[in-house]
Amino acid sequence: MAAEVVAIAATDLASIQASQMGMKAIGAGLAVGLTGVGTGVAEMGIGAAAVGAIAENKDFFGLGLLFTVIPETIVIFGLVVGLLLLF
Amino acid sequence: MGVNISAPYIYVCTRMRVRKAKLLPKEEYMRMLNMSVSEITRIIGETEYKQEIDELGTAFEGMDLLEVALSWNLAKEYQKIQEIAPGTLKAFTQDYLRRWDIQNILTILRGKVQGEKTGKIKEILIPAGSLDKIMLDRLLAEDSNDRIIELLKGHRMYAVLAREFPAAKESGSFSHMENELYKQFYAEILGDTKAGIKGGASFLSYIQLEIDIKNVKTLFRLRADAQAPEGVREMYISGGTLSPTDFTSLNAIRDSNEFIDQLRASVRNESLHTLLDEMKGRKAMHDIEIRLTRVQLEQMEKMSKRNPFSIHPILVYLEKKKYEVFNLRALARGKESKLPSDKIAEYLVM
Repeated sequence: MAAEVVAIAATDLASIQASQMGMKAIGAGLAVGLTGVGTGVAEMGIGAAAVGAIAENKDFFGLGLLFTVIPETIVIFGLVVGLLLLF
Repeated sequence: MGVNISAPYIYVCTRMRVRKAKLLPKEEYMRMLNMSVSEITRIIGETEYKQEIDELGTAFEGMDLLEVALSWNLAKEYQKIQEIAPGTLKAFTQDYLRRWDIQNILTILRGKVQGEKTGKIKEILIPAGSLDKIMLDRLLAEDSNDRIIELLKGHRMYAVLAREFPAAKESGSFSHMENELYKQFYAEILGDTKAGIKGGASFLSYIQLEIDIKNVKTLFRLRADAQAPEGVREMYISGGTLSPTDFTSLNAIRDSNEFIDQLRASVRNESLHTLLDEMKGRKAMHDIEIRLTRVQLEQMEKMSKRNPFSIHPILVYLEKKKYEVFNLRALARGKESKLPSDKIAEYLVM
């Protein structure tokens, strides 16, 4: 009887731990995914404007590229949060 | 209102802003005022007009080179913008540019009546509207004006041309036909802006501004000419904030201060109000016209800042480019006829 109870408790604990890990993975996925979408939206406008400016004046290339990747920081924050969750 | 945050809109509007920034600044015109025609040609040969000046340099010289290069550049710019404008903005840009069709057709018809050489007429055509170079060449190759009108069958302008041309031919003056063509042009544009197409509202606000400024200019011109009151209604363009009854009653006022006060009361536009206050007591027609044009450009600039990704940035560039070409032409012409610099400066839109 006692041995049965211990066995059931052990399987419950294992499944709880597994589901906790799963939740973390979902959280990490959401962190990276949603910030990725946010970065994409932010870069759309800047990128379009930068390409427009570069089409008219090639000298703008470096600066345009720099401005375009600035919203990349958002997804990096997401990635950091994701990694912290997982490890 | 009218704000469209989609990548192609942002792309095109930024390109227009960069192009606008590349237009000649006021200081450059001031420098050019002290130069000869050949020096002006050389200076603009180093700017956006380089390609045209280089291409045409072997075939033309002096004033002709400048004239043709300016027209070619303007046409090229306009064609290019029509190509890159996305979606509904393309339709609106084409609508706006259709005014060049009217100008080209009238130039051809007038040139033919006066017996000008085909090459000479061709130099001043600007193929920016729906009639391209090939079509204009075909029209130019015709000898009789009736055949030219016949060739335009199927074009939007044909109905008005066919209706008005016989009378114009008889009287020898195309001015009535010109008025009718422009009225049809504005009526069609107003129709298009109200057809419920996305972004139509911002285009409408520009067109209304343009019609208002045009009507006010016409009123000032009529005062200067002391025209007979019968023909006045005909010159009114509907669609703006000025009503036709106001237009005729304003024209009947003889005292210029009273006229300006009344005009101020009937037009709803703040920067126009300030300008009208300043204009009391001024007589020179070209001065008034240039000030009105400047108000229009300023107003358009404000609109383009309010709606950064709409038709406005494109229209501001198109208008400013037109006036740059207009200025350079006035400058060179003035220099050629040896006018003093300050006199030329009065005619420039800066």
